[in-house]
Amino acid sequence: MKKTAVSISALLMAFSVVVSGCGGNNNSSNSANNGGKQGESSATTAPAASKAPSTEPVTLNAWVMPNSPKPDADFLKTLDPYLKEHPNVTVKVTVLDWGSAWTKITTAATSGEGPDLLQLGSTWVPAIASMGGIDKVTDKVADVGGAEAFLPAIWKTTSIAGDSEVYGVPWFVDARAIYYRTDVFKQAGVDTATAFKDWDSFKSALQAVNGQTVDGKKIAALGLPGKNDWNVVHNIFPWIWAAGGDVLSEDNKNVTFNEDKGLDGVMYYTGLAAEGLVDKASLEKNSSQIEGDFGDGKSAVIISGPWLAKNFATPKANGGMDDKKAAKNFAVAPLPAGPGGQATFVGGSELTVFSGSKNKEATWELIKYLTSDEAQNAYAAVSGQLPARLSLLESPDLDANMKAFSEATKYGRTYPAIPQWGPTETALQKHFANVWDIVAGVKGKYSRESVKEELDSAAAEVKAIINQ
Amino acid sequence: MGLHTEKNLPVKAAASKRAVWRKRVRDNKFAYMLMVPTIIFMLLVHLLPMIQGFWMSFLKLNQFTLGKYLKAPFVGIDNYVGLLFNSDNPVRQGLNFAIRNTAIYAVIVTIGVMVMGLMMAMLLNRDFPGRSIARTAMLLPWVVPSYVVGVLWGFMWQQNGIINYFLVDVLHLYAEKPFWLLGPNTIWAIIIPTIWRGWPFLMVIFLAGLQTIPEDIYEAATIDGAGKLRQFWNMTLPMLKPVIAVQLLFQIINNVYSYNIVSTMFGNGAGYPGEWGDLLMTALTRQSFGYWSFGSGSAASIMLMFAMLMIVGVWYRAFRTELNAQ
Repeated sequence: MKKTAVSISALLMAFSVVVSGCGGNNNSSNSANNGGKQGESSATTAPAASKAPSTEPVTLNAWVMPNSPKPDADFLKTLDPYLKEHPNVTVKVTVLDWGSAWTKITTAATSGEGPDLLQLGSTWVPAIASMGGIDKVTDKVADVGGAEAFLPAIWKTTSIAGDSEVYGVPWFVDARAIYYRTDVFKQAGVDTATAFKDWDSFKSALQAVNGQTVDGKKIAALGLPGKNDWNVVHNIFPWIWAAGGDVLSEDNKNVTFNEDKGLDGVMYYTGLAAEGLVDKASLEKNSSQIEGDFGDGKSAVIISGPWLAKNFATPKANGGMDDKKAAKNFAVAPLPAGPGGQATFVGGSELTVFSGSKNKEATWELIKYLTSDEAQNAYAAVSGQLPARLSLLESPDLDANMKAFSEATKYGRTYPAIPQWGPTETALQKHFANVWDIVAGVKGKYSRESVKEELDSAAAEVKAIINQ
Repeated sequence: MGLHTEKNLPVKAAASKRAVWRKRVRDNKFAYMLMVPTIIFMLLVHLLPMIQGFWMSFLKLNQFTLGKYLKAPFVGIDNYVGLLFNSDNPVRQGLNFAIRNTAIYAVIVTIGVMVMGLMMAMLLNRDFPGRSIARTAMLLPWVVPSYVVGVLWGFMWQQNGIINYFLVDVLHLYAEKPFWLLGPNTIWAIIIPTIWRGWPFLMVIFLAGLQTIPEDIYEAATIDGAGKLRQFWNMTLPMLKPVIAVQLLFQIINNVYSYNIVSTMFGNGAGYPGEWGDLLMTALTRQSFGYWSFGSGSAASIMLMFAMLMIVGVWYRAFRTELNAQ
C-alpha cells in the first residue's frame, strides 16, 4: 500500500516535471488585459458598435523583450487606448529575455508554433526573414507611411540587403552618445562646446579631466567595457565608421574593416585605454557596471544609450540612480568626428508578423497602432528608448538629452542587412575580445601590428561566414 | 543413452531457465510497472533527442535550411569530413585552445574536488560536538546554483575586487593587481570556483563511504603498530576504491561537459571567455550553434560523445575489478 502511494507520487512528480518543462517557454508572463476583457463582454452586448474591419473576438499573442522596467505591463499600457477602441481584441504578452530569445524565436520559426506579433532586434530581421519565420509586409507598409516616415538607418534593416521586400516596421531606436560630467569638465576648465568636436579635441579633453579630484577621489577620464559584454561590437564600430572604414564592401562580398581606415578607428578607441585615460579595471566589466561606475563618480565620460538618462531620472526606490551626484551633473553629446566624419551605432527593434500566425490582419492592425505617433511617444516615455518615426525624432518637444540622442541618430549607422549577420557578430565579438586582451597587456604587446593581426584573422573568419 | 542426454541437456536447461525467467518477471510485475514511466520518459527526453541529433549530423542544417529542419538536405558524412580535414571550418576556429583548456580544467578540477572532498570527509568523520552543523555548513557552496557561482565569482575576480584586495593589499603576493578575467589567469578564474562549488558533494559521498568501514579494523591496525598515514594508504583508500572509481568517472564527465560557470562569468554568455577561458562546451556552442550551423554542431557533439565513450572505456578497464567486486 505504502509502495503504491510512493509510486503514484513519483509518477506525478515525473509528470509535473515534464509538463512544467514544456510550459516553461510560454508562461513567463501571460497577463491578459483588463480593458480587453471588459471590452469583450461589452462587445457581446453590442456587436455592431465597432467600426473595425472585424468584430470577431480575437486573441493576439505578442512576444516582446524587456524593453522597459515592467515589460508586460508597460506594453499593455501603451496598447490601452487601442484595446478600448477595439473591444474584440485581447492581447497576451510573453516577455522573452535577450539571452534566450534567439533560441525561442528560431524554435518557433521552425515549428510554426509561435506568437502573432513578434519583436525582433534590428540586426535579427534579415536572418529570421531568410528562415521564413516572418511575413512580408511590403505592400502594406504604405499604411504606416513607408520608408520616408522612419529613421533611414533603422529602415535599412527591415529588408535583406539586395532584396526589395520589407519584413518589419521599426518600433523604437537607440543610439550611442557621450555622457559627460559637466562639473568635472568645468573644474578642469574644458570648454564643452568644442571638446566633442573631433578626435583630437576629444582626446585632449579627456587628458585634461583625467585624474581630476572629485570629492577627494581621483576620477578616470573614460569608462569603457572591454570584452565581457554584449556590446563589444557595437562599441568598436562607431570608431571604425568615423575613421572612414566599414564592415563590408558596398556589395557585401568583401570584408573591409581590417583595412587601414578601420584599423585607425580601432587604434584610436583602444588607444584611449592603452594611453591611461581609462581605469584598466573597467576592461573586465560589462556595460551596466560601467554605467554604475559613472553614476558612482569613477569616470568623467562614458558612451551609452538613451536608457541611462532615464535611469538617472528614476528614483532610487524604483531601481534608478536619481540620488547620485552624476544624475544632476551630466550632459549628452554626440560622438566626436573622425577623419571620415561623425558616426554612431543605431540599434533598435522592429515589429514583425510571425509567419505561423492565424490572425495576421489583426496583428498588422496592432503594428499600425504601435507605430502611430500616439503609441510611439507613449512607449518611448516608458522605455527610455527613442521613437523610430522621423517626425517624432525631430519634434521640438524632446528634452535636451533626448535631443542630443536624436541629433546622434542623424549620423547613425548600422550593420549590413545580411542574413548571416548573427554569426558574423559572434566571430567579431571573439576577435575584438582578443584585441581587448592585447590592450590590457595580457596577450602580447599592444601595437598597430598586433591589433592588425587580430583584425585580419577576424576578417578571414567573417569572409568564410558571408561566403558560405 | 548417455549421448542422447548430453545433446538434450542444454535445451532442457534453457527451457527451465526460460521458465525461471518468466516466473521472476511475473513475481516482479509490480517492479516493472513502476519502471514503465521512467523508461517512457527516458526514451522521450534522452533517446529520441539523441537519435535526432545523430540524424542532424548528416544534414546540411544551417539558417537557410532550418525551416525544413529534419528534412534538410542530406549530405552524408560531409559535416564530419569538414570538421576533421578542413581547417577553415568555423567549428575548428579556436578549438585547440578549448581542448587544451578543457584538459587542464577537467584534470585539475577532478583532482581538486576529490582531494578536498576526501580530506573534509575524513575530518568530519570524527566525532566532535557540532559535527552535524559543520556538515550542513560545508554543503552550502554546493547548494548555490552554478549560475550564481559564475556571477558572484565574476565580481570577486575583478581587478579591484575582493580577491585582489586580499592577494595584493593584505598579503602583498603581487606587486600590481593582476587581471583574472582577461588573459592566461582566466583558467584559474574558472577552475577555482568550480572546485569551490564541487567538493562538498564529494565530501558527502566519501563520508557515506567512510561510514561503511568498520571502526574495529582501525583499532586492530593501531594495535599492530600501523601509523595514521599507513592506515590511510593501506586501509581507507583501498576500502573507498569503488566509491572513488565511480566518482572519478562522474567528475570527469561532468567537468568535460562544464558550461554554466564559464558562460555566466564572462558577460552572461555574451563575452568570449578568451584563449585561456574557453572550454569545449562554450566553444562548440559558440562556433556551431552560435554560427547557426546546426549540422556540423551536431557532428561535433557526436564526435565528442564518442571521445567520452573511449574515456569511459579506459576507466572501466582500470577499475574493472573494484566494480565487479561490488
